[in-house]
Amino acid sequence: MRSMLEKAGFDARFSALVLALAAIWLGLTWATDGVFLSPRNLYNLSIQTCVTAIMACGMVYLIVARQIDLSVGSLMACTGMLVAWTQTNWLGIDGSLGWIVSIFVGLLAGVAVGVFQGWWVAYRGVPAFVVTLAGYLMYRGAAFLVADGQTLAPLSDDFQRLGGGLQGSIGPLWSWLLGGVACALLVMRTVGARRSRVRYGAKLAPLWADVLKVALIGGALLAFVAAVCAYPDPTSEDGHGKGLGLPVLMLIGIALLLDLVARRTRFGRHVWALGGNPEAALLSGLPTKRLLLQLFMLMGALSAIAAVITTARLGSGTHSIGQMAELYVIAATVIGGTSLAGGTGSIAGAIVGALLIQTLDNGMVLLDVSSAKRQIFIGLILIGAVWFDGLYTKGAKK
Amino acid sequence: MKTNKKSWVLAALLCGVASAALAKGDVIGVSWSNFQEERWKRDEAAIKAAIEAAGDRYISADAQGSNEKQRADIDALLTKGAKALIVLAQDASAILPAVNAARQAGVPVLAYDRLIQDPNVLYVTFDNFEVGRMQARAVLALKPKGNYVFIKGAPTDSNADFLHAGQLEVLKPAIASGAIKVVGEQYTDNWSPEVAQRNMEQLLTKNGNKIDAVVASNDGTAGGAVAALKAQNLVGVPVSGQDADLAALNRIARGEQTVSVWKDSRELGKAAGRFAVMMAEKTKPSAVPGAAIWRDGSKKLPIAAVFLKPLAITRDNLGVIIDAGWATKAQVCAGVKPAAAPAACK
Amino acid sequence: MSVLLVEVKGVNKSFGGIQAVANVDCDLHEGEVVGLLGHNGAGKSTLIKLLSGVYPIDSGEIRVRGEAQHFESPRDARAAGIETIHQTLALAENLDAPSNLFLGRELRTAFGLLDSDRMEHEARQVIQRLNPNFTDFRKPVSAMSGGQRQTVAIARALYFNARILIMDEPCAALGPAETRMVLDTILKLKSEGIGIFLISHDMPDVFEVCDRATVMKNGAVVDTVNVADVTPEDVLGMIILGQKPKSSS
Repeated sequence: MRSMLEKAGFDARFSALVLALAAIWLGLTWATDGVFLSPRNLYNLSIQTCVTAIMACGMVYLIVARQIDLSVGSLMACTGMLVAWTQTNWLGIDGSLGWIVSIFVGLLAGVAVGVFQGWWVAYRGVPAFVVTLAGYLMYRGAAFLVADGQTLAPLSDDFQRLGGGLQGSIGPLWSWLLGGVACALLVMRTVGARRSRVRYGAKLAPLWADVLKVALIGGALLAFVAAVCAYPDPTSEDGHGKGLGLPVLMLIGIALLLDLVARRTRFGRHVWALGGNPEAALLSGLPTKRLLLQLFMLMGALSAIAAVITTARLGSGTHSIGQMAELYVIAATVIGGTSLAGGTGSIAGAIVGALLIQTLDNGMVLLDVSSAKRQIFIGLILIGAVWFDGLYTKGAKK
Repeated sequence: MKTNKKSWVLAALLCGVASAALAKGDVIGVSWSNFQEERWKRDEAAIKAAIEAAGDRYISADAQGSNEKQRADIDALLTKGAKALIVLAQDASAILPAVNAARQAGVPVLAYDRLIQDPNVLYVTFDNFEVGRMQARAVLALKPKGNYVFIKGAPTDSNADFLHAGQLEVLKPAIASGAIKVVGEQYTDNWSPEVAQRNMEQLLTKNGNKIDAVVASNDGTAGGAVAALKAQNLVGVPVSGQDADLAALNRIARGEQTVSVWKDSRELGKAAGRFAVMMAEKTKPSAVPGAAIWRDGSKKLPIAAVFLKPLAITRDNLGVIIDAGWATKAQVCAGVKPAAAPAACK
Repeated sequence: MSVLLVEVKGVNKSFGGIQAVANVDCDLHEGEVVGLLGHNGAGKSTLIKLLSGVYPIDSGEIRVRGEAQHFESPRDARAAGIETIHQTLALAENLDAPSNLFLGRELRTAFGLLDSDRMEHEARQVIQRLNPNFTDFRKPVSAMSGGQRQTVAIARALYFNARILIMDEPCAALGPAETRMVLDTILKLKSEGIGIFLISHDMPDVFEVCDRATVMKNGAVVDTVNVADVTPEDVLGMIILGQKPKSSS
């Protein structure tokens, strides 16, 4: 079965993951009498997933390169506080300048921390685990110090749109437009890829497989757009649909960009080579130290973006956001097929992994499961996913 | 030469004796469970001021949320010569070995804000049951009938359960008569506003937005609940809170939150500092002004306790907070529209 | 006399207090295979790494076609026309043959993205010349046999038109058929005028393909001899005892 799928050009592991997710969705829909699959809950689920998923995209790169970053949650808190502080204590919440600059302040802080951590790892040879564990402690403390532990509010109304709440989505027209464009691009890309392979005489996947893939992915995309457009905006007079939330747009943009970079640029190729065989990378003349530095900078920037979304969503700057975020981000990445040994990783898988974890949390609150039990379930699923992955890679090697 | 040296030594000795006589110089040790949480800075300032006003010295340690570290911290404070200990316990029972160690060293212990399950301590706190009752009363007054939701505190914090017990006590008759229906309740890990927001979103989805009141246990979680309500255009649903955070006071002024129960931690710190100084001078816990034996803890032990009265802050008495110097008018009234402003903001 | 490709004069390298390479002289001409022999720790691998730019030399000179070279990184050595096939092959297990072939020198499209299909096409040309049975170009290296990996490593060196090749124990992990294939490749490359430094422990292989042999012991060169003028016993004596052969030319 697996070899048949693989000959047809399907990634068997990813397919298994998606099937598992679908099974969980069906189960939860039945258990909650359909509430789980309602447009409103799907909209909320998509927003709730964004923060973890965005950071997971960067964590894929890091783990592929045999590194790790345990400080992302604390860094979220620190950059989030700086973003809020810029609005409440420096530039004010009226007008556009304040909140736009605040986002840049957060990004700058995130990248600066990335340079700091990356420098220790790449140029001083300190293991990433140690450097980022220290970061986990330091940036949480720094977040507290920004406002002496206080919650900073209120924030700019325009800024809060980035959280997906009030006015935080693009409406049905733009959502359908984007959905249509996405499907068109998908078809174009598949056709283009087939032509290119024919030109170079490379092996082609069977036509039915490509058609099926396009149909499934396109279908899922359009179904999601339909769902979020069917959710009437509570803040609108005419009850028009909410459409895609702004955080979701940010996730899509980041995911597409990072996936492209991973598969189709030198930078991505070099990161994967570095993770597959660091010695080979060195002997092939790759700029390994610079690569590592850049990876930590990327992670810092993504943590800042996650902080912007969370802070906008909450409507205030608190220093307690991002607690345990690093664990969920790493779990999402591993569930999605990235190996902790380095060298293999998938952005799409990480996003599905994040969706899986968030699905469990979302669904279980709908079922009134207590927080302690929820944590046990999610932990068990993580073990299950890693065990399954171990089975799969052992099988593949035979 | 020799006589000069001798006279220097004598002068130094005399000075030492004199200064020792002037200040008692008792060392009072404070063991914090987790200094990182928002409110403890104000407590510390008040405790320190009270201790230093009495001529004693303040030393402290932060256990950063760990029971093991708190044990080690208390050992260290005892070694440094503390004559009395003020302890904000991470866990009411796990702290007992440390408390026993203090008793063996003859050092009295004051349980600060959080219970310690030991009959020999002085428990100084705001009445957390009363805080819960005040939260429920304020919400019940606005919504005597309808669907209620509880956004509770951290499952690891015993205070969360005291608050909830107080809330239920006030709401019990209405729940029994069917006027109030509890349609959801969830603990909030770490009292995190982020977690509270997610839980509230799910509860709103589950109940199709038919939620008429939210009994939240503190301002952080209230903030998360309000954010979820805002996204559904349901601002104005009664929401309770605690701590009188600046952000919460602002929400009350804007009509997004109903009440925040204010525990003036400056008063608590001052009282604790005073009592600790007294206990260092061998005053027994039960002999401290305002102390009475209390038996309502989960283990029903008889503990000498002083309960300070909290104050419920709503739209109508925001002025009290501003006058007490806890928050400025600018902070409380930020972004309030003049047409809908409360009295204190006009 | 054929063209002098590489000249190593008085090269030294030490790590900490340990002298890994001591005052080594050797050279390589077009169309010849020079064996680098010696026991473990004799300094052969370090000399290779100096020639391929992994480490900088402490003192001495390396000349390529008469021009003095200073290698700061592996890229510099490649730029001078030296391609190295390390003992570990330096292949990324998780990537396929074309990706490894072009690692660090990837081909790009007009938009700056990787041109995977063109790279596969080019890889196909080179690899199938060496091994016509190699067909699956999307398979990762981890799924290849030892011989196939060796083929990819050699193809990488050839694609970039190296005239100077360094091969570190290419046949060590191979079976007889694959060893035969590698030796035939070496002979073919020799006939095309490529100069090869070959590290090997296998006497029959050395005596089959090498023209000359430089023997090292404890970081220094014992002697450089014409393979035709000595016997395997002589060479063993040089390796183990540091003894120059009785008949010298």
